[in-house]
Amino acid sequence: MMKEEITILNENGLHALPASRFVKLADTFKSDITISKDGIEVSGKSIMGILTLACEKGSKVILTCIGKDEKEAFKALRKILEGQD
Amino acid sequence: MKYITAETLYKEKKDDFEFEIIAGEEYLTSRKITTYDFFRPGLALAGYTGYFLSDRIMIIGKTETSYLKTLTRTIKDRRIATVMRLGTPCVIVAKKLPIDKKFLAESTRRKIPILRTPLSTTPFIHRLSTYLDYKLAPTEHIQGTLVDVYGVGLLFIGKPGTGKSECALDLIERGHRFVADDLIKIVRRGDILIGGGAEKSDRLRHHIEIRGIGIVDIFRIFGVKSVRLRKRIEVVIELVFWKEAKGNYERIGLEKNKKELLGVPLPYTMIPLTPGKNISVIAEVIAMNYLLELRGIDAAKEYDVELKRILTEQEIPSVHYDENIE
Repeated sequence: MMKEEITILNENGLHALPASRFVKLADTFKSDITISKDGIEVSGKSIMGILTLACEKGSKVILTCIGKDEKEAFKALRKILEGQD
Repeated sequence: MKYITAETLYKEKKDDFEFEIIAGEEYLTSRKITTYDFFRPGLALAGYTGYFLSDRIMIIGKTETSYLKTLTRTIKDRRIATVMRLGTPCVIVAKKLPIDKKFLAESTRRKIPILRTPLSTTPFIHRLSTYLDYKLAPTEHIQGTLVDVYGVGLLFIGKPGTGKSECALDLIERGHRFVADDLIKIVRRGDILIGGGAEKSDRLRHHIEIRGIGIVDIFRIFGVKSVRLRKRIEVVIELVFWKEAKGNYERIGLEKNKKELLGVPLPYTMIPLTPGKNISVIAEVIAMNYLLELRGIDAAKEYDVELKRILTEQEIPSVHYDENIE
């Protein structure tokens, strides 16, 4: 299991575009992927959940990946949350 | 333990209860309210402090105020000091009554905020309890889709990609009412679970993501008749991929499966997914079956009773289907 707290660095927070990139990428992995913020956990593979969390810039979320490809998944998804790719 | 601060109470209900801060504004943030029960200090002011509930909000009304007037200054001061020493997260004076100066002094000494409302004591207590009960109710956020089908709150759960959202869309098209998709906020009130959306803004409510299309505004497309803000959750339906179901699903319906949410057991049905299966019709049947069961009609049980009867009785009553009379 890969689990770590990540700070959202996207300029406008996690809005529709980065969120859709996130779920699209998450969908390509076999692992179970979740994001949680303020104790509310949502699936990393569904866009509405992530958007409902309303993650603003600077907010902290916990990314969890569980499964065979958890390492690759975590590495790739972290980049989107941190706005690096 | 779940709590709200006295500051939250003040801020959220300032307009509603027309609160004014009499004393101890700086203590609002540190005072935690953990129960919707309240406390009238009448007996304590009269001298009996054998059973004192310090975690409750203290409400001072006409009874307390007029009783205090009958006491001499010395006794009054001592009694008020005792009551405030025993503690409360917050004192609220109702009916815009004047408050004894000793309360103000003790407020600073014991770091207890004092608020005042112009509302009458009893209606105020009623509204305050309702508000606190809601704020302090156990809550949970879960992944799922909530739809009101024939008045029955159906909560769909299941892995991503099992078609929960598509099923909701189909049910809405059939005239049922959509509550929320993906992230459901559940609040427990007594033994009842109320589900609704977790959106932080009203304008973000009632949207569904349909894979291939994207975000769809259900309110705009289907109109006001097709949505509702919250619904009691009555039945849980889990959509499971056929391979993962492994025959674990019910075949007759005699066994009543339950799924626990926030400690409340709810009727639970697992539906294995196969191509071409119409989940929304099945969901409608689940809702109607539930409504029948509420009226004491259980199809599986009645079928079984009748089957046992004809299996054990010697003479089978003659019902002739021989003649073609249709």
